[in-house]
Amino acid sequence: MEKSIEDIWKEGFLKTDALIAPKINKLYSQKSIHVIDKFKRMFKINLIAIVAFSFIFLIVSFFIGIPITGVIFFVTLSVLVFINKKLLNDLEKIDLGVSSYQYLKAFNQWKNKQIAINKRMSKFLYPIIFISMILGFWFKDAEGIPLGERLVNEIRIGFPDVYLVYGIPLIGIISVILILVLLAFFGGQIYKWDLNIVYGRVFKKLEELMTDIESLRS
Amino acid sequence: MSSDFYNISILPYAGIIIKLCRAYTDSQEDFEDYYQEVCLQIWRSKERFREESQWSTWVYRIALNVCLTLLKKDKKNKNHFVSDTLVAEQTEDSHAFSDESLNVLYDAIRQLSEIDRAVIMLYLEEKSQKEIAEIIGTNPNNIGVRVKRIKTRLKKIVDGKIN
Repeated sequence: MEKSIEDIWKEGFLKTDALIAPKINKLYSQKSIHVIDKFKRMFKINLIAIVAFSFIFLIVSFFIGIPITGVIFFVTLSVLVFINKKLLNDLEKIDLGVSSYQYLKAFNQWKNKQIAINKRMSKFLYPIIFISMILGFWFKDAEGIPLGERLVNEIRIGFPDVYLVYGIPLIGIISVILILVLLAFFGGQIYKWDLNIVYGRVFKKLEELMTDIESLRS
Repeated sequence: MSSDFYNISILPYAGIIIKLCRAYTDSQEDFEDYYQEVCLQIWRSKERFREESQWSTWVYRIALNVCLTLLKKDKKNKNHFVSDTLVAEQTEDSHAFSDESLNVLYDAIRQLSEIDRAVIMLYLEEKSQKEIAEIIGTNPNNIGVRVKRIKTRLKKIVDGKIN
């Protein structure tokens, strides 16, 4: 008697041992490579975005009359990109042939080094960006005289007793120095906060993966 | 992924994943790659699981989507290398199961369109028309007619080979 399709299916799988799942030994290495590749892609995009932004801002800064800001931004961000590009080259050197655990460990070491370097740079980066903005707008042309000077003149009309140091109100100098100190002090924290927004999810996945592999190894 | 993720969330559904992957591959090597990729995608997608459907439905859907995506990629690649290898691989997997009738049925299933393969696999797994429609993303009313048509076609091929 001819069997129905359903009978062939049911009986076939009763007899066969073909439902044994294949080993998924490559799963962890695939996942590690996937997560790290994702990070590399994001990191490269981030660097390209910084270069593009600094270049566009440099051009725009000349048009809106704050070239000092534009130039300082461009130089500072170029240094930042240069250092991070060098770090990225180190990342590319990690051997893909090692085990997933070693691969992740090597990446983790690289990541910690990268974060430490950038954290240190951020202590200078944020104050430099802030001072470049102040300088840019201070020297921005405002009907023949720098905007900063014009501002001081207007302040002096309202507050004739204001104390000036080299033509700049002392209160202004103190405020700027205070902000610079705060930015230098919290620069590392700001960087970590920024890092978490951009790469938080990827890093979390990597941590989970590491914990997972470590628990399997123990 | 917790270390038990595979054992708890994937392994209980390995049967359907294996059966689906077999229907979309024609060699042991491809089958293992497809299986691995399905597991990987389930792991990657687990955060997007919203409990609007059952976990099993979610797993089937991912398995099917991965198979269809990989098949599309493979087809592109194989179009460049239509060779003896393909014929050899097809022959190789014609004996993937110890049951000869099942091998014949699988060969017949592989002759169906990608979606018809999915429909019949889910039907044979005793999924309801509603579940099949949900997994495939179609209207449940069409499933019954489609299953009947596929079964007739399969029966014809299988009977022709067995007899």
